[in-house]
Amino acid sequence: MTVFTDRRERLLQEMAGEGLDVLLLYGNAWQNDYLRYATDFGILEGQALAIVREDGITLYLDSALEADRAALECSGIDVVHAPDLLGEVDNALNRLSNRRIGTAPARLIPRRLAARAKDLNLGDRTGFLDRLLMSKLASEVDAIRRACKVADEGYAVFRDAARPGRADYELIAEAEAFFRSKGVDDNFQIIGVGGPEVRGMAPPSGKKLKAGDMVTTELTPCVDGYYAQICRTLVVGEANAEQKKAFALYREAMEAGIAAVRDGVTAADIARAENEVFRREGLGDYVTDQYTRVRGHGVGLFADSKPHILEDVTTRIDAGMTLIVHPNTYHPVVGYLVLGDVVAATKDGCEVFTGTARELFSMPA
Amino acid sequence: MRRGLMGWNAEELPKAALEARIARLRAGMQREGFDAALFYTNLVQPSAVTWLTGFTPYWSDGMLLLPREGAPVFATALSKRVANWIRTTDTLSEIVNTPKPGAGVGKRIADAGCKRVGVLNYDAMPAGLYDEIVGAAPAVELADMGGVFADVRRTIDDAERGLIARAETLARTALDLIDADKAADAGEVAGLVEKHARLGGAEEAYIAVAPDLDADRRLIRVAGTLPLAGRFAVRASIAYKGAWVRRVRSFARDDASRRAYADADAWFARVASSIVPGRLLDAQLAERLKELSGASLRAAMAESCIGSYPLEAVTGAPVAGGFLVLTVALSLDGIPWLGAAPAFVRQIS
Repeated sequence: MTVFTDRRERLLQEMAGEGLDVLLLYGNAWQNDYLRYATDFGILEGQALAIVREDGITLYLDSALEADRAALECSGIDVVHAPDLLGEVDNALNRLSNRRIGTAPARLIPRRLAARAKDLNLGDRTGFLDRLLMSKLASEVDAIRRACKVADEGYAVFRDAARPGRADYELIAEAEAFFRSKGVDDNFQIIGVGGPEVRGMAPPSGKKLKAGDMVTTELTPCVDGYYAQICRTLVVGEANAEQKKAFALYREAMEAGIAAVRDGVTAADIARAENEVFRREGLGDYVTDQYTRVRGHGVGLFADSKPHILEDVTTRIDAGMTLIVHPNTYHPVVGYLVLGDVVAATKDGCEVFTGTARELFSMPA
Repeated sequence: MRRGLMGWNAEELPKAALEARIARLRAGMQREGFDAALFYTNLVQPSAVTWLTGFTPYWSDGMLLLPREGAPVFATALSKRVANWIRTTDTLSEIVNTPKPGAGVGKRIADAGCKRVGVLNYDAMPAGLYDEIVGAAPAVELADMGGVFADVRRTIDDAERGLIARAETLARTALDLIDADKAADAGEVAGLVEKHARLGGAEEAYIAVAPDLDADRRLIRVAGTLPLAGRFAVRASIAYKGAWVRRVRSFARDDASRRAYADADAWFARVASSIVPGRLLDAQLAERLKELSGASLRAAMAESCIGSYPLEAVTGAPVAGGFLVLTVALSLDGIPWLGAAPAFVRQIS
């Protein structure tokens, strides 16, 4: 059994349990987790819709190039090149009248199809899929464990590429080349280079590294559809005392968050454990949305999966859920700083999957 | 997800070029009776907003509102912190950070008294955004404006031509690095091509390989180690500052195939550089195929950027001053060959 066949079997069982006859799933290269769960296709160009029935799965793609690729890369599903994607799927749905059809993610379903909710008996079942996406099978957890190993290796390549005079995009180029040669489907990566003026990470802008710069990155390779993430910070040259002191705080916060992860806690509990460390040091402002987005998130078939680790998110963490805990935020003295590791919740705590040292790395200036 | 070089450079994309594009579109909107225009964008469908403003999202999505007058408004659920980055690539628009971008633009068009608003890809618009817009602007008529937009995108300006040329150079020189005699693994080849493109400043690079052209000419995204056969092909789809091209090259290890490929490459370069307007591509290809001994056409496709996709299949006769990516599959006395290259359609002199 592959992770995909495990997933498909579970999906069909759960659909039956929910009284769902059909699922209509949407995906593109940005938000592909719902579609990938059922089809295992990692779409890059164009858009796709999948119709999942008990007796089979049909994947409709509007790109001829992607349809060719899907036909070769996906087994056990029907692939249809549909230049008129909405027309083809509209017709296919017409043949499924009097069935209970669920959609996900409902907010991205094309308007023309969503407008037929009443006559086609379409209902928003995003929450149903979200539960499956969050609560991983053992084979999915294994896939994420493998992806974390590649993330560790990728960070080592990235770190070794950091030298004064190199442009930020060149570091990412080195990591990407490594990932392609390792068969990594995709990668989400943003970067920050500089000091206190840096308030977050973004795609590379051409900024060149110089001595004293902090280089932050969030590196998220995708292996067999599963994204793993690692967040680390390095300094070009020797880290100064302020950078070291700030890093120690972030490390304490991350470790406090990781220590809070176990079956039965909530996402809010983890966020609170991280944020208390900042508040204790008088840095409570810097854990608000003015300076940071989330204190971690789920990892899986999407680079930014649910649940988001925030103090107002009450999603229960169950054993087997996989998360990244990252207290990434702006520090008023040294600038934006990141540190994050992937963990899988267990009954009594968690298992940490990423293995890169929790250091403020120092690269020769 | 975009993770290559992203940024705005006034020399490559002058503000005046963006303003001229907006003016052309507004003229079309006026002709069709649209009071404003709406463009959904994400990293898969970025091209309309990129063309109008220079901005491409690396993540998430948003909506651009182009009123008949005044600055465009870009509404996004991305945080205020990301707005600072957006401003480095979009110097024209007002940036509105809101958890409900549809509601944000809906309120704007309602407050402005718009009666009829054009939407690019109206049918495909995400249902969540659509619900927000009509919730905020229930009296406004929304209608598809794909025709108006495609009409102004039929020809490219000098700025776009320059960006395409840069992307083409990245793709071509990356593929030039492949040594058919030494290349053994598809993953390594993909990594080599992608690294070169990204080191050269590519915004994005999708590399696909047909590892054994004799067995199957379809190209796949390589996952893991995959041996390359005696004849294989590599496709580099490369973006530079929002301009996309594709190049496909076929490679062979034996001398006879190599000679046939060299002849086909030279023929294809001549064809791509001499596409004429007003005549169907199929007819042009059939005519030009007579120049290549032993060749028969297996498949052909033309793509261009006429909407929100970076490249999409197009039909009909090429337009003077337009841009295409031409993909051709040939049989060369039984040897499979694939090629793709960008083509600037000749101006009528």
